[in-house]
Amino acid sequence: MKAIKLARKSQSLCKFKFNIKESNPLNKKFKINSIRNLESIDIQDKIEIVKNHEDISSKYSKEIKNTRTVYLDGYFKNLFLNSFGSHIYQDLEVLRLFSAVYAQRKGLIQNAMNSVGGVGGFEIMETEAAQNISLKSAKQAIMLLDAKSPVGGKFNVIMDPKLTGTFIHEAFGHACEADIVLNKESILEDKIGKTVAIEEVNIIDDPTIGQGKKFNLPYELYGSYNVDDEGIPSQKTVIIEDGILRNFLHNIETASRMSIEPNGHGRANSSVAIPQVRMGFTYLEPKDWKLEEMIEDTKSGVLCEDFQYGYTDTTTGNFQFKCKFSYKIENGEKKELMRDVSLSGMTLEVLKRITAIGDKSTFNYSDGICGKGGQGVRVCDGGPFIRIEDITVGGLN
Amino acid sequence: MQNKSDVSNLASFALNIAEKLTAKFAEIYFYLSDYLNIDIEENSIKNNEIGSDLGVGIRVINQKGSLGFAYTNRLERKSIEKMVKTAISMMRTGTEDPDFKDLPPKYEVYKTVNGLYDKDIKYLSIEDSILYAEDLIDICDKDDMAISQSGNFSSSYNKTFIFNSNGLSIDSKTTISSVSSHVIVKDKITNDTSFGFESQIERNLNCINGKNVIKTALKNAKRNLNRKKINSIKAPLILTPKGVISFILRPLASAINAETFQYKRSFLVDRRGEYLGPKFLNIEDNALIDGAVGSATFDGEGVPCKNKRVIEKGKFLKSGLLHNSYTAGKEGIESSGNAARDSYSSLPAIGITNMILQSGNSSKDEIIQNVKEGILLDYTGDRPNISTGDFSGLILQGNLIRKGEILDALNETMFGINLLDVFRNIEEISKESKTYGPFQAPFVKIADVQIIGSAS
Repeated sequence: MKAIKLARKSQSLCKFKFNIKESNPLNKKFKINSIRNLESIDIQDKIEIVKNHEDISSKYSKEIKNTRTVYLDGYFKNLFLNSFGSHIYQDLEVLRLFSAVYAQRKGLIQNAMNSVGGVGGFEIMETEAAQNISLKSAKQAIMLLDAKSPVGGKFNVIMDPKLTGTFIHEAFGHACEADIVLNKESILEDKIGKTVAIEEVNIIDDPTIGQGKKFNLPYELYGSYNVDDEGIPSQKTVIIEDGILRNFLHNIETASRMSIEPNGHGRANSSVAIPQVRMGFTYLEPKDWKLEEMIEDTKSGVLCEDFQYGYTDTTTGNFQFKCKFSYKIENGEKKELMRDVSLSGMTLEVLKRITAIGDKSTFNYSDGICGKGGQGVRVCDGGPFIRIEDITVGGLN
Repeated sequence: MQNKSDVSNLASFALNIAEKLTAKFAEIYFYLSDYLNIDIEENSIKNNEIGSDLGVGIRVINQKGSLGFAYTNRLERKSIEKMVKTAISMMRTGTEDPDFKDLPPKYEVYKTVNGLYDKDIKYLSIEDSILYAEDLIDICDKDDMAISQSGNFSSSYNKTFIFNSNGLSIDSKTTISSVSSHVIVKDKITNDTSFGFESQIERNLNCINGKNVIKTALKNAKRNLNRKKINSIKAPLILTPKGVISFILRPLASAINAETFQYKRSFLVDRRGEYLGPKFLNIEDNALIDGAVGSATFDGEGVPCKNKRVIEKGKFLKSGLLHNSYTAGKEGIESSGNAARDSYSSLPAIGITNMILQSGNSSKDEIIQNVKEGILLDYTGDRPNISTGDFSGLILQGNLIRKGEILDALNETMFGINLLDVFRNIEEISKESKTYGPFQAPFVKIADVQIIGSAS
């Protein structure tokens, strides 16, 4: 009764009245066919794997002072019904392995973190990436002990696929979410059909199931799903085509208010949360540059690999990313390693200052949890190596 | 879960099962939260939620320190028995931990802290709750430059019961209410847009003032319009209270967390007893302030809370870490009463109570007026690397100060400094201070900060 009373009272204060656009009912069962069902794996085996990773990373070097390995899995059975007549059943397994290593040399402490995640069963743990995760973190933490603090200024920056993905997700992707657009918080309001990037730029969000095999994986990408949390099938959405903004990402509400079809981006992190407009697997399409050519063609710059985190003021497009590893480039050669490099820029300026986009062989992705509106959902983002001119690099010196 | 004797009976039931199943130590934590949320989007009421979260968590530890933890939101005996058995099986497959010493003992005396419960929040009606949201919407509607607002009003009434195998038995009831506003403004001449935000969290409903919150958010948003790029400079940085909280106090709270410290993940490792800053720098974590958001009589494990000095006259005290019973046991000392637990579904972590950077002698206006060229920092979305203390981040809300006047908002401007240099370079602290939730901070001036501008 309290809820009904609250809904009635607040309805009178809600300024936006609109009709939900009905979609065709969907009656379907979905099941991700995992090879090694998570429920069948003994907890002891899972604990042993974690202990083994702890052992590998902690014994890698005397300079490693602390390690952390986290194994997370979950199996979900979701039943979805709505007033359009949809009746959808989903059977889903998700797994993620996380490794953090802290190394210390005299007063200097450095850390490295890596994760592997996917939609699928225990076979995810048998992939090379999962098996080497602790060794990778240990090597990286030790490597960073020798890294220098960066020098601030403006540089030509080459971003690796993970960082390109972060840029596409954080600096651009959130501004394409139609709820942000409707709330007048997006730099892309009124930009549909307009040129927002150089002609070579194509940006896609494709959370459909079936992309794991593109990366030779025995499981599905972490950010993928069959149907969104409003019963709309996941689908490939072209956001930028040849530099022109074509589509926003929608849930049923934003699509109804903008009088278009929803495109399957209404996602909630649990059954008690309200679906928001969210990304799935957002990426920049590759073009034709080799990484070596990009470096050779750069007189002075920074090669940035992997990210720690990033954030964006969607109202202005001012973004910042913290990179994990960065190398100076001098006269076309990769030089010394730098740590904690941060990159900043204005999204719409930067999309027009891309000077090179890598080829298919450089295309890759990373996975993670996006926490918009306090709801963490599984996402992936990626792209090839790209080069951007005149990016502001933050440094202590 | 309103009846204490019912809860006590369930606790005894669970602790007895745990003991029979070879747990040497056991602790049971009951939590109830009745909450109400009203969300504003596009300056209109959007989502509303009334709910109740009720549950219980148990941790069991054997003689070798191996831990098991499980929880349930069903309070009948059958579910509780299943929960205890799950925790026990986790304990049996867990890892031995010689660093675990004991759960907290039974305490005879807890200090009294007043003003943590307000019946007006517990019995707040839906109609009255909506009035707070309406305050935000009305003022935004009437402002010429405001084009949109996201905001929230929420309130909750929380009850906690903790029992352990050492005979500890304690309970509390508290309330909390908050209001927040994130506004977008547009300069109609230049068409530039910007955002500003403000929030208020209180134990007492009478203190909540939505009108002030939106007015401050609007002021912040307007101050951030028509941003300019500047050249790189080395200049003093004046932190507003919000800036001090995000840039100094939150990172410090992580750095003095005893777990972070013991795992050598803090840039302050090996610096206990050292002078980090000037003699007028004092920082404490005080749980015993009447009516304050972070105050409590006991922590998430039932240990009495206290006032702890962290930095005194510039010196980082040897006793300046925040402990729960595990980290304290590892060091062979008493817990500082900083076990933090937001829910029955998680193990006790470590957290602050009320973290306060004490006020100084200068007025904030004097501090700003004496700056020839510097930067006013209200907000950076960034955070320092706690392991190294290094910071290199973007100024999301900040202005240029020239000849003592606050001028243009800054665009694409970053700054870099190590936190140890931040403490060393503190030159002035203002008399005026502001409280945001569990943090209290004044204005602080830091000398010689590397500002990285993006003007060519």
